Amino acid sequence: MKTKLLATAAMSVIAAAIAFNTPVSADDHDHDHDRDHHFHEVQTATPIKHLVVLFNENRSFDHYFATYPVAGNPPGEIAFHALPHTPQVNNLANNNLLTNNPNFTNPANGTDAANPFRLDRTQANTASQNHAYTPEQLAYDNGKADLFPKNTGRGTAGGVGAFGTKGQVMGYFDGNTITAIWNYAQHFAMSDNAYTDTYGPSTPGALEVIAGQTNGVQNTVGTSNSIPDGQGGLTLINDTDPGYDVCSSKTSAFVMTGSKNIGDLLNDAGISWGSFMGGFDLTQTNSNGTTGCARSSFSSVTGGSTADYIPHHAWFQYWPSTANPTHARPSSVAAVGHTMEQDGHTKDPANHGYDLDDFYAAVKAGNFPAVSYIKLPAFQDAHAGYSDPLDEQQGTVDLINFLQKQPEWKDTAVVITYDDSDGWYDHAYVAPTSASYDPTADQVNGPGQCGTGVSTQPQGPGVNGKPVNGRCGPGTRIPFLVISPFAKHNFVAHNRISQASVVRFIEDNWLHGKRLGGGSFDASTGSIMDMFDFRGEGSEDKLFLDPSAGTIVASAPDHDHDHDHDRH
Amino acid sequence: MMRNSHLSWLLGAGLLMLAGATFAAEQSLPSGENPHPVHLRRPPAAPLSAMAQLGQQIFFDASLSSSGQLSCASCHSPQDHFGPPNKGPVMLGGADLKLQGARAVPSLAYLERQPNFSIGPAKDDDDNPVSLAQVAASAKDARLVQKTATQTAAAAANMVPQGGLFWDGRADTLQAQALFPLLDPHEMDGGSVERVAGKLQHAPYADRFAPLFGPGIFSSPRMLVSEAMFAVARYQFEDPGFHPYTSKFDYWVEGRARLTDAEMRGYRLFNDPKKANCGGCHLDQPTKDGLPPLFTDHEYEALGAPRNMTLAANGDPAHYDLGICGPTRTDVAAETQYCGMFLTPTLRNAATRHAFFHNGVFATLQQVLDFYNFRDTNPEKVFPRAADGSVAKYDDLPRRYWANVDVADPPFDRHAGETPAMTAQDEADIIAFLQTLTDGYQPGAPKP
Repeated sequence: MKTKLLATAAMSVIAAAIAFNTPVSADDHDHDHDRDHHFHEVQTATPIKHLVVLFNENRSFDHYFATYPVAGNPPGEIAFHALPHTPQVNNLANNNLLTNNPNFTNPANGTDAANPFRLDRTQANTASQNHAYTPEQLAYDNGKADLFPKNTGRGTAGGVGAFGTKGQVMGYFDGNTITAIWNYAQHFAMSDNAYTDTYGPSTPGALEVIAGQTNGVQNTVGTSNSIPDGQGGLTLINDTDPGYDVCSSKTSAFVMTGSKNIGDLLNDAGISWGSFMGGFDLTQTNSNGTTGCARSSFSSVTGGSTADYIPHHAWFQYWPSTANPTHARPSSVAAVGHTMEQDGHTKDPANHGYDLDDFYAAVKAGNFPAVSYIKLPAFQDAHAGYSDPLDEQQGTVDLINFLQKQPEWKDTAVVITYDDSDGWYDHAYVAPTSASYDPTADQVNGPGQCGTGVSTQPQGPGVNGKPVNGRCGPGTRIPFLVISPFAKHNFVAHNRISQASVVRFIEDNWLHGKRLGGGSFDASTGSIMDMFDFRGEGSEDKLFLDPSAGTIVASAPDHDHDHDHDRH
Repeated sequence: MMRNSHLSWLLGAGLLMLAGATFAAEQSLPSGENPHPVHLRRPPAAPLSAMAQLGQQIFFDASLSSSGQLSCASCHSPQDHFGPPNKGPVMLGGADLKLQGARAVPSLAYLERQPNFSIGPAKDDDDNPVSLAQVAASAKDARLVQKTATQTAAAAANMVPQGGLFWDGRADTLQAQALFPLLDPHEMDGGSVERVAGKLQHAPYADRFAPLFGPGIFSSPRMLVSEAMFAVARYQFEDPGFHPYTSKFDYWVEGRARLTDAEMRGYRLFNDPKKANCGGCHLDQPTKDGLPPLFTDHEYEALGAPRNMTLAANGDPAHYDLGICGPTRTDVAAETQYCGMFLTPTLRNAATRHAFFHNGVFATLQQVLDFYNFRDTNPEKVFPRAADGSVAKYDDLPRRYWANVDVADPPFDRHAGETPAMTAQDEADIIAFLQTLTDGYQPGAPKP
């Protein structure tokens, strides 16, 4: 009995060791020699050969930049002092909206009425808000942006140590908490005019950043959070799990039809790319014993554990062409980013869908894809309620410290942006450029109204080229940063862009400006080129930050991302 | 399966498969040591933030009460592991300190990992929040796994109420919890949010608010009190005194203490489904990543404890404290399947308490164990007799809710006339084990 148990235990320890060390094909060609050689052969319109898109969760622009670059700096806290000549951003402080704010003076907010208020670093863990398609529209109140407390109230409490209050939606962080993001903004480029392409929560945002499209929904199980588009089809307005994912809900899921996403275009052109999501590798077991779709991590900030992988954030799983339904493992580290295995004619089982660990492994092995879409494990994705800005800072800084240490950094650009605002207050409003007239769901300009009216402003086209409902936008203003040796230094871009601007950049840089068609927003959205300066060779200055404090350090801490999912 | 006498069996279903460790069937060690020590991860110790220091000031400020004599610390006494310092079932409060609190004072210790209130395991991702009524409705026909010390993982998925603070889970955060006693007329009797805000504005620590919350903080009494309650919560979250994990049992787990024979026997009985089966609900395993056990699964049960006639409110025979479904908590009143259910508390420091269960009807651990032991086999030993001489079993629960009482989880699965689960010696041994859960033990040197 004793021997048998010992043997069993030993086998599981060995099995775990094998799972951690992802199978690497026998040490193939000399990486150092060929490193980046392939990428210099790939033609790009700009010097950028590697784009990394870090897509975090649920924060509005004013919620992160309300008083930028001025922080409260209470005694004893990590201080933030702005660099000279920091440009003005369109925030609350610069628009005199910190007091006598319409969300405080509008009686329709009732007892929830509140002015904007500072959230302290100890309040990183907060309750989350209601950030669905219709409540967000109602909060903007035909452009007055004065009904946030009334409409985007609390979602979940957010853990026993969380902060919550009426009118909480008016809270904002400053550089004493989101120190890293403010430091990145000071040393690289950001936009103060970036929007979600439509109102609504995570899944619409995930679809927009890879396809600029939420129309063409086809339910595979049960119903989805869609509305009839008026042309016999459906448009997604809120969250639903992807139809091609073993981790998805068994009662409600959908797929996208009649459209393509940027992965399809990259496949057609033979450009390497990948989706890298925390928790995607179901064969791994975390240090707390969780595995499969239930892999979870503990956060000492929230005091709780949350599942690493969230199916309704899994962008490429919504199209059969780019899905990896069983989360199959890539055949080798060298195959990461490629459609085929190393033999050149067997389709790699992973189909461009990988774990975040695979990104780190591939880059370390000299196999840095051209385009990488990244989701941190959920406890670090910034979504209020189960994540928080301090855990977000840790995961974000680890990634960017790591990238700056790579030889490929000189040709790399990192975009940090968000899938939705969570309903956090933001004062800026854009009159809809993509109209929608669903009698219930659309409310921003009046009941059933998003736009000036069907006769003066018909809805934009859907996947079949006909006007469709459900794509009311632009939606909410979100942070958007570009970190790169070619990013302008301490720069703020003011031209209006959106999540689909990421798609547009990829198309403009690698695909000669090809567009997805079918009403995708890539054709009408703004360009992020203003945040770059491509004259010269790019800056040699790097910005290494401490992952926990967000402060500037001389060189990157040696903590390269390891396989320890036991983070504090 | 292992025989009961083997120490290794104590580790139950939550086997500690840490890297390198193997699970071997060994004889129990006569020295009382743990043959498989585990390193426990305690919360990080760091100087209190400015927010927590402010909260500490407020926690000890008795001027916030109408009597001027009650602070949070009066009922949540640091010397009593943040539980009540008195011997009665409840504390007295109000303007003259003469009014009974509604229920026994819970300890504020060991709440830093308390989950939010939910029915069934919590759903983290809230982009589509579902109402409690909807979840309760879908949970009604769910099959429940029996809660025994040897299958705690399976029972964790039961679609039953769990989490939250107070005996009825009506607050999710420590911030929300702190406001109730402050305003309760039977407790600190703070009067109103406006009155409390006025006191905070003139407190000796008033100059600490503006740097943390901005200069406009005093213009909104509601926001000021919210932030003050958060500061109190932050003090509890950060100060190691609220979650020290320094009991003899913690050090035994880490290989730095030996249990006596009685304590060891009590530990086995604690985890024996055929004996006390305490471990079915009062989970005693460290988590897989080394967090110390909290001795609760945070779930609710209706145990049908006897009515406490020393509580003035119980002088009215029509008055019943029904826990989740009311009367203090009001948002889940329609879910009568939960009437009579109260939160499972931690057993850490339970040996130092003098009031057990929501109504403080038991004053000693002996009485608690007698209740578990005799409730079904010899109810006459734990319930009073009615006027006609019959035993008034479940006298603190209206008959229409008797179906809610737990009769499935051992030792509550026995019947009148059957042999009780424990002998007198068993009960004494379990009490000896429970005494090892008291903080402040001085351990031996750490193992290399």
